[in-house]
Amino acid sequence: MKRNLHVLLSLLVLASMVLAACGGGAETEPPAVATEPAAPEATEPAATEPPAPHFSGIAVVTFVQQPTTLSPLYQNQWFSSITTQLWLKGLWSFDSDNNPVLEIAAELPTTENGGMSADGMTLTINLRDDVLWSDGEPVTANDFVFTYEMFVSDKNVVNSTYPYADYVTSMEAPDDHTLVVNFNAPFAAWLTTLFNTGVLPEHVLRPVFEAEGTLDNAAWNTAPTVGVGPFVFKEWETDSHMIFEANPNWIHPAKLQQVFIRMADDAAQEVAILAGDTDIATFLDWSQADAINSSGKAKFVTQPSGYDEGWFLNFNPETAHPAMLDVNVRKAIVMATNREKIVNDLLGGLTTVPATFWDSTPPYGNPDISPYPYDAEEAGSLLDVAGWKDSNGDGTRDKDGVELVLRYISNQRQLRKDVQAVVQQMWAQAGIGVELVNYGDDFFNSYADGGPIATGNYDIAEWSDVTSFPDPEQSSYWLCSQVVGPDNPDGGNWQSYCNPELDALFDQQATETDPEARKQLYYQIGQIMFDNVVWVGMWKDPDLWAVSNRLQGVKFSGASPFWNAREWFINE
Amino acid sequence: MATYIFRRLLLSIPVLFGILFATFALARLIPSDPCRAMLGEKATDAVCNEFIKRHGLDQPILTQFGVYMGEVLKGDFGKSFRFSLPVTEIIIQRLPTTVELAFSALVLSIIIGVSLGVISAVRHNSWADVVTMLWANIGVSMPVFWLGLMLAYIFSLTLKGTPFQLPPSGRLSAGLIPSPFYEAWNLHLTQGTFVFIAAEFISRMNIFNSILAGDYKTFKDAVQHMILPALALSTISTALIARMTRSSMLEVLGQDYIRTARAKGLKQRAVVMKHAFRNALLPIVTVIGLSLGGLLGGAVLTETVFNLAGVGRILYEAITARDYGIVQAFTVVIAVFFVVLNLLVDISYAYLDPRIRLN
Repeated sequence: MKRNLHVLLSLLVLASMVLAACGGGAETEPPAVATEPAAPEATEPAATEPPAPHFSGIAVVTFVQQPTTLSPLYQNQWFSSITTQLWLKGLWSFDSDNNPVLEIAAELPTTENGGMSADGMTLTINLRDDVLWSDGEPVTANDFVFTYEMFVSDKNVVNSTYPYADYVTSMEAPDDHTLVVNFNAPFAAWLTTLFNTGVLPEHVLRPVFEAEGTLDNAAWNTAPTVGVGPFVFKEWETDSHMIFEANPNWIHPAKLQQVFIRMADDAAQEVAILAGDTDIATFLDWSQADAINSSGKAKFVTQPSGYDEGWFLNFNPETAHPAMLDVNVRKAIVMATNREKIVNDLLGGLTTVPATFWDSTPPYGNPDISPYPYDAEEAGSLLDVAGWKDSNGDGTRDKDGVELVLRYISNQRQLRKDVQAVVQQMWAQAGIGVELVNYGDDFFNSYADGGPIATGNYDIAEWSDVTSFPDPEQSSYWLCSQVVGPDNPDGGNWQSYCNPELDALFDQQATETDPEARKQLYYQIGQIMFDNVVWVGMWKDPDLWAVSNRLQGVKFSGASPFWNAREWFINE
Repeated sequence: MATYIFRRLLLSIPVLFGILFATFALARLIPSDPCRAMLGEKATDAVCNEFIKRHGLDQPILTQFGVYMGEVLKGDFGKSFRFSLPVTEIIIQRLPTTVELAFSALVLSIIIGVSLGVISAVRHNSWADVVTMLWANIGVSMPVFWLGLMLAYIFSLTLKGTPFQLPPSGRLSAGLIPSPFYEAWNLHLTQGTFVFIAAEFISRMNIFNSILAGDYKTFKDAVQHMILPALALSTISTALIARMTRSSMLEVLGQDYIRTARAKGLKQRAVVMKHAFRNALLPIVTVIGLSLGGLLGGAVLTETVFNLAGVGRILYEAITARDYGIVQAFTVVIAVFFVVLNLLVDISYAYLDPRIRLN
């Protein structure tokens, strides 16, 4: 009996393996129900009865991290937030160039159309009257008011109450399709922050909130079966996959039938990309670009998302090397560094050098500013003028008995270590010495633990940082009031840079509700920081994506990567 | 025999109770804050107090344990803090993946390991013996995650476009949603009943479910997805079984009754399979039993490399997130598997060697 069982099991497995081998490779490709060679633009329906939308194809997306939740209230992780563009739209999204794209809002509020009050304190937003939740219920202004209430309710432990608790005094719905937002002061970032993570379905969640006193444990958080977007949530098997199906109720129906999100670790993701087993992958490394592009299955795509790799300089006279306080020395350091060569040699020439902190946050980077060029001769002249000369013949410049040896720190990332080594060689030619130090991430930024940046134990620190993308706000890094110290341990200004002129401009932009005027303010900010060499851009550090050749119509956005998911289609 | 089994099952109750209590108490005695582990560092004291009260975490451990045991006896393992789902539901979602993976790996281990062990013993000191044992040594020392990645690269990339191409991750291809066998059989089961839970559990083992449902397409896809993880996971147990089979067979082949059998003029095949192999099975079965336990509990790396949502991964994450419900329930489930496996191994002794009297 037992022997027979073994024989039976053996035969079964052998047969399975033979079947698998006979299956051929084609079966392991993500199946496409049908192909759609051309993607016609959405047009207004001519007849009174719109034709039923036709969905076809499945796009497979790989995530290397498991989303923690799907609810916009609790999202504290990038992978959670980027899924919302598939199934939960807000008032507007942002396209590849960071321009707003209307979703549920009927028009963008401006001073001219009366949407923004003259004093910048009240915003009136007109909503489309034809938007339905995936269950057929209409989306109304009350849904937005409810969302606001849930964000500011002390019954919910939300990820962030910004900007609602800080800037919004009230929100009203005078009718189903008009939303009025009242601010406590003119609020510049309204366009990029209000409902940027979507709107909550009041008819689904208010009963839950009233019954349980909180939305913290709502089943909708992990199984949001009602949404408002081109796709609707169908299934989430934790650590395995998520499925979003086309939503026939969305105003701009998707072309795909399904988006299948598969969780995988980095190695499995790379295999999947190269094998053509996934259509979209992210959290990649620059070093993967060649393999992906030469695989014939996918292409490597970059998309600005506000991140730039750069040098943050120490301006604290008590802790910085004295040379760091001289703008000519700072300029010389930059000009002695061949950043173009670094980008070409270490990053495959796939990105460029930013001139200002806002170059990757369009349209706030000043187009009139170009990065300081590599010019070793000019760098030497600047150092000579500043009095830093090699008086003792040891190969390193000095002044008043102080050697020009700078402490250049970063974390343990290999790419940064490589850059440090290259920079060390470049600076040696200009007579600049360098001490290279690398710290663990936990310690690197910490003030409480005596980390090197916050306590000023550095001259140049390198890391990749970001604006409040798509909003340009990041003033706390350079405001005088934010200088970190024992009396201000939570201060955001670790560089100890203080410039009243810059402070005034940062304060002004924070309340400038006219996007064009605000852009001009950022041009001025960028110019001052560039002239004074306050921050040095090493390379633009965009989001790195891989897109399979079979998935067409994909345009990423730094703010809302899947903003145009409805346009995606499969072309075998 | 029945008395023996009954007695062993009765004895396993205090073992499981002890495991449950130890897990329950240890999870709560480790210095940690389950509220902030779940809700994040920003959770205020007021919110955390409400959280602790809602989950009964303000009660003494013994009181909590008493309440918990009452629920467990009713078949309710509580709710996961993290997923806001009943733990039973999560077990039904996760355990079938691990069970299917472990059994697939075990079947491969038995087929390959026993065959190699027998060949190696019969051809003792030949090149086949040397190669097999060298392979077994490499197999024992090969990291599963490395082997998994290599298999994925070879079968997904190097062999791409050939009939031997296999998918590198997941359990099924995107877009393939299998129908539960009970729907194919037109069974109308009531949700929440034991029968429904059992049927749901079975239906989530894709290979088994597709056989029952007669769904060839899903069967083929599920087997294709299972081959690489099962191969990776089976390596160590295959090597152990091969080594144990070899040494056990060598011992038996040196016995007088084998020489007698050969002297009688029996064919080599009959001597090896009928007289030697059966008598060598006892230690092999022990290793197989222990291997299955190890495969069930140790699949976490394989599950990670091949993107399989099984028990190992969720247990690890639950421990770090202080998700007590999941830690307790899965620990008990794994313990039950070990208890049952040990019992089956003991019972098999009596079947394989009639001299052994279990009573």
